[in-house]
Parts: sequence; structure tokens; C-alpha cells
Amino acid sequence: MLNRLVRWARKKSPWILHLNSGACNACDIEVVAALTPRFDVERLGVLLKATPRHADVIVATGPVTRQIKDRIIRIYEQTPDPKFVVAVGACAMSGCVYRGAYNSLGGLDQVIPVTAYVPGCPARPDAILDGIVKLLGTL
Amino acid sequence: MTDLERLDSLKVALGGDILEITNPARRRIFLTVDRAKIASVLTALRDRLGITYVSTISGLDAGDAFEILYHLAEAAHGNVNVRIKIPKADPHVASVTPVLPGAIFYERELQDMFGLVIDGLPDPRPLITSDDWPAGNYPLRKDWKFERPAEIIPGGKK
Repeated sequence: MLNRLVRWARKKSPWILHLNSGACNACDIEVVAALTPRFDVERLGVLLKATPRHADVIVATGPVTRQIKDRIIRIYEQTPDPKFVVAVGACAMSGCVYRGAYNSLGGLDQVIPVTAYVPGCPARPDAILDGIVKLLGTL
Repeated sequence: MTDLERLDSLKVALGGDILEITNPARRRIFLTVDRAKIASVLTALRDRLGITYVSTISGLDAGDAFEILYHLAEAAHGNVNVRIKIPKADPHVASVTPVLPGAIFYERELQDMFGLVIDGLPDPRPLITSDDWPAGNYPLRKDWKFERPAEIIPGGKK
């Protein structure tokens, strides 16, 4: 009974943290566009939070640079359990054109566990929403 | 100001310090000077010709030497680019920050990327390489080899 209640609460209010780990800003603009009234994500309970301590879902964009690796791990550890990571865009999925560069570690999954991947360069707001809804469907 | 006027004024201002001077395109002038004289050349350009803006400093690994090009922009004419050559065996060059303070970021970047030693830099910390960057690795040197770390495949390879 309590588990069902907790699961319902989680599905109905995924608070997200927008994290840029070295992206070119294209995916960031699409993430911000997905939060506009046009897509009305609050009907799904999605709220953008300013700190990882309040977030359930980390929406991360961009390849992981060598400099930000430790910061990303710290942000991941600050997020309370249960936590989910959505990698938005080709760079966050695999490193894309930055893959194999000396200052880049590749995709986000080289550093922290990733739950869902949203392809695209940049990913469309609809695709980002779809990724988050599919993630909620697995709960 | 035409290219010819600028070439003449450069020759008057610098005199024997110019090893080579070319004008490959309109409003673009390339000088080669001795590396020991770079600070005095830039001082002369600043004080006598009013060239005060260094837009960037570019570097090149040319085998046994580094070629450093100071790109100086000026409103009156165009671009004056000062080239120096630095042998790899002795990669030292004097800082030009006493003459043009804005050059500090480009000089720090040269230190990071080529392993040049810029003498007299007020703040010689690494600028653009990451905090955990191993010492002695200079990415823009041609003989530098990068070993890619093995990638993790989540869930294993199928």
C-alpha cells in the first residue's frame, strides 16, 4: 500500500535538474524550450529545480570534459535516491564529435550511470519530453 | 593608410630588427624578428606607431622549432603580424605582458599547449588544461601521442 503511494508520488512529480557538462548550448536551449508553456510540462509534475538536492531526474547535456568529471560525480552523489539520469543529445550519449579528444571523456555513461538516452543534435523538446515520460513509464 | 606607407613606417620604426618583411595580401603585413628582441619590437610598435592591440598569439610546431605569431590589429591600417622562431631545445621566450598586458591569457595558453616557458609572466599557472592534467603533456606538439582511455560500455558488449 505504502509502496504504491510512493510510486504514484514519484511518477507524478519528477523534479528535474538541468546539468550542462560541456555542451555547446544547443541542447540546453532545447531543454529550456521544453520547459516553456507551449509544452506545459507541469501537467506531468515536472519542475525545474536549482539544486541537485531537490531533484529526482538529472537532465544532462553535453560530453563530459576531463575538468568537470569530479563535479558531475559530486552532483550525482548529492541527488537523493531514487535518482535517474537522462542523457540529452548525441554528445551526452556517446561524446559525438568530441569522442576521443584529449580533454573529453566521451559520453555521460563513462562517469555516472545513465537511465535514459535522448538522441538528437540537438534533441527536439518533444523528444526530451518523450524520454522523460518513457523513463517515468519504467517506474 | 596604404600598405606601402605602413611598410615604410615599419622600416623606419624598427630598422635593423626586421629579419624579413612580407605583404602577402592587402592590409596584412608579416614581420620576422629575433626572439630576444620581441619585447623591444612590440614596445617600438606601441610607442612609435600606436599599435596597442594584440588580438591573439598563435603557435605552430614546425619540427625542430616553434613559430609564434603575434597578431596585432590596428584601426589605421590592418594587421601587423610579428613572427618569432624558438628552437625546441631551448623553448624560452620573454613575456610581452609588460608591453601589452592583454597578452597574458595567450601566453599562458602557449605554455599549456606547447610547453614553452614564458619568462617574466606575472601569473604562470595553467590556464586551459584540466586540474588533473599530467605534467609534461603538451597537446599541440606534433610528437605528442594521446592514449585514449578504454570506454565503459554500460551493460556490457553484445
